[in-house]
Amino acid sequence: MTSHSRITQLSNQLTMASRPDIHLYTTQTPNGIKISITLEELGLPYKVTKIDISKNTQKEPWFLAINPNGRIPALTDTFSDGKSISLFESGSIQQYLVEQYDTDFKISYPKGTREYYDTNSWLFFLNAGVGPMQGQANHFNRYAPERIEYGVNRYINETRRLYGVLNTHLEKSTSGYLVGDKCTIADIAHWGWVAAAFWSGVDINEFPALKAWEEKMMARPGVEKGRHVPDRHTIKDLAKKSPEELKKHEEDSKAWILKGMAADAKK
Amino acid sequence: MSKPITLYSHGTGPNPWKVDLILRELNIPYETEWMDFADLKKEPFESKVSPNGRVPAIHDPNTNITLWESGAIIEYLVATYDKSAALTYTSSPEKYHVSQWLHFQMSGQGPYFGQAAWFWKFHQEQLPSAKERYFEQVKRVFYVLDKALKGKTWLVGDKCTIADLSFVTWDGMAAKMGIEKNYPDYYAWNQRLVARPSVQKMLKDKEAAMAAGH
Repeated sequence: MTSHSRITQLSNQLTMASRPDIHLYTTQTPNGIKISITLEELGLPYKVTKIDISKNTQKEPWFLAINPNGRIPALTDTFSDGKSISLFESGSIQQYLVEQYDTDFKISYPKGTREYYDTNSWLFFLNAGVGPMQGQANHFNRYAPERIEYGVNRYINETRRLYGVLNTHLEKSTSGYLVGDKCTIADIAHWGWVAAAFWSGVDINEFPALKAWEEKMMARPGVEKGRHVPDRHTIKDLAKKSPEELKKHEEDSKAWILKGMAADAKK
Repeated sequence: MSKPITLYSHGTGPNPWKVDLILRELNIPYETEWMDFADLKKEPFESKVSPNGRVPAIHDPNTNITLWESGAIIEYLVATYDKSAALTYTSSPEKYHVSQWLHFQMSGQGPYFGQAAWFWKFHQEQLPSAKERYFEQVKRVFYVLDKALKGKTWLVGDKCTIADLSFVTWDGMAAKMGIEKNYPDYYAWNQRLVARPSVQKMLKDKEAAMAAGH
């Protein structure tokens, strides 16, 4: 071996050794826990920085340099060229993680297969459909400065329609998961939202196959571990709380959400 | 490639036209099947083509794949037919940044512009706080894009990609919002996109499809 190729080999090993070097910027929300669950399912090491939305940390220049959209989750890693890569948008981060690290296809399918593209359809369905619409239901049902019944009903009904699509699809699934014979990033992306159904004003009991799927997902060790990042996942416990305790949680959340909206509006 | 792809589309909605535009840009033969709102609920569309009962969806007889969700379709089209990577990158990290902006379009621009259009244009009852909410969200999207485009021609690298093109069909509504003054880099980028011959033709065909009642 020439000294040059020895150096190349050593430098490759060093580069390899420094990957993954994943740093997740997140907070306890359905979009945030998608990424920690994905990382846990893949068994990858990662560092976590909690982004305190109540203090508007997501608007600080250092964070905007990572994610110009000022939203969580965001992630940095050492890329294969040895330089740092910053990523935002939960769906794009999930695609990155499986493409880079899921070489055994634990929670994804090989590129170019039918199942690969099916996973993508359901992933976009969540990110462009369930997430935004259920998010609007939360806004009108829990956080809006005034109660607008039309808004509440519009988004709860659209969320119910989307849950109906999932329920019909899962009724036909032999594995109990959305695509093929295993849990994929599409299932993981949905779980945090479906687990929070009651908060959005949707009764999960209307959708038995979806409810069974939600419980099956929660029994996975990776989901159990990943859901408590960066703080405990408490949305399911809230369902059992008294109306007074619920009201308090609602008021606390409302305060920082409206503050964030006001800050955005100043731009 | 020989057989044309079937694109399930509709005249009014911006999302089918995103896919239409990528098919044109890549010179992929395709046929449009116009779906009205009643067709979307008819079998076998919902059970065999699009379980969400929405357009766009495609069927590609060359690979025998059926797909729905515009973002997933666009990713499929470039992976399968854009062999020279004209509209995307094979290099990293560029390819992941293309995906990142495409996801931002799908989850950030589309849903919020859609809700804004609903409360400003279509909903009968005047709901000022709902109108205000979505107006602010739309402005926020302009702000993020404007900032990201400072000193740049396109969102990722030095060429126009699916990430840029995916925003253009929702941008029709932007013209009326004083964007030239408040978001100059966004405006200049939008003008570059609209000047592309494929975009010009797509917008013309969209208008014709709407006039024909599709």
